[in-house]
Amino acid sequence: MTANAPGHWTDGPLPPNASVGPGTIISGSHAFKRFRSTHPRALTVGANSTLDGAHLSLGPRGRLVVGDWCLISGAQIMAEEEVRIGSYVAIGWNAAIADSDFHPLDPAQRIEDAIACSMIGAGRPRPPVEHRPVVIEDDVWIGPCATILKGVRIGAGSIVEAGALVTRDVPARSRVAGNPARVVGPVEAGEA
Amino acid sequence: MPRRIEGDWHPGSIPDNVRLHETAYVESAVSFEPFRSELPDAVDLGEGAAVYCGSQLDAGPRGRISIGRCVILNGCLIIADELVEIGDYALVAWLVVIMDNERSARDIHARRALLREAAAHPERRLTRVGPGPARPVRIGRAAWIGFETCILPGVTIGEGSIVGARSVVIDDIPPWSIAAGNPARIIRSIEPGAPQHA
Repeated sequence: MTANAPGHWTDGPLPPNASVGPGTIISGSHAFKRFRSTHPRALTVGANSTLDGAHLSLGPRGRLVVGDWCLISGAQIMAEEEVRIGSYVAIGWNAAIADSDFHPLDPAQRIEDAIACSMIGAGRPRPPVEHRPVVIEDDVWIGPCATILKGVRIGAGSIVEAGALVTRDVPARSRVAGNPARVVGPVEAGEA
Repeated sequence: MPRRIEGDWHPGSIPDNVRLHETAYVESAVSFEPFRSELPDAVDLGEGAAVYCGSQLDAGPRGRISIGRCVILNGCLIIADELVEIGDYALVAWLVVIMDNERSARDIHARRALLREAAAHPERRLTRVGPGPARPVRIGRAAWIGFETCILPGVTIGEGSIVGARSVVIDDIPPWSIAAGNPARIIRSIEPGAPQHA
């Protein structure tokens, strides 16, 4: 197991509630900067995956599961509940995946939340914030600058084109693009 | 003799095959961390051009990046397996992605093979030039690219054009036009105007 390759300028410890399979590398100075989860298995990564320059922003109960042979470069993954990524998933630079809106949609609740989060919050409890797990199945390719929002399931083998903003489920083996992302075609077998 | 940048917090240096005009500025050698072009004249950084920290110049083994006079790259990612050309006076905002190659395969089995290859590579990158050829990207003189815009392989952006923030540019943008959206569409054209300087 290698995490934060020794001697690299971004070298740092792996949190105790992270488990990383053989051949997997996690690098980047921001990887665990916002890793606040106390879930006993907050981060589980399979074998031979690479999380290079990714931001793993996990809330107090957040969980991130990543399969084998994934290549995630410079993406932001934000989990308040759970983000589950299958195997052979490639995620491009500056992509963002979030299972939460982080603040309430209701304006009155949002004011309460702003106060609770503020410097004068003094431990005041935050109002409930909606979150729904994100599932990215095997063999999905997510292009650079794409955004995946809460509750979305991306079916196996699909392609999320660069810059797409995905708000709804994506059927297996389909290509989505645009804002909001829409299916623009199937993934053709043998497509170059 | 490695070219170190004075006061750089990053231990790297500027590769030998990067031609810097004496007035050009690179904030940190971290911008060359993904750089691995083997061409003798891989990067040309013009007079007064600036590459600020956060910009990544990811040139593949045969990749070339040409950056014109007084260009500002303020935290963008450039993927060049063949050619990315940025004309004089062009401005490129933060988190912009400019790529001449997707570096992936659209076929699932081919993509699995690429990912296995990347996992075996010491730097964990998709090093092999993708299954298709790279398609050069050209950004015209005095163009302005808004933040978090993606410019995809094969695109040419004409002289003086403006691309709005968070656009995804999949087709050419003609000169002197304003384009925005995902996918980017032309909103209107603009007058070249009379240059006051240069």
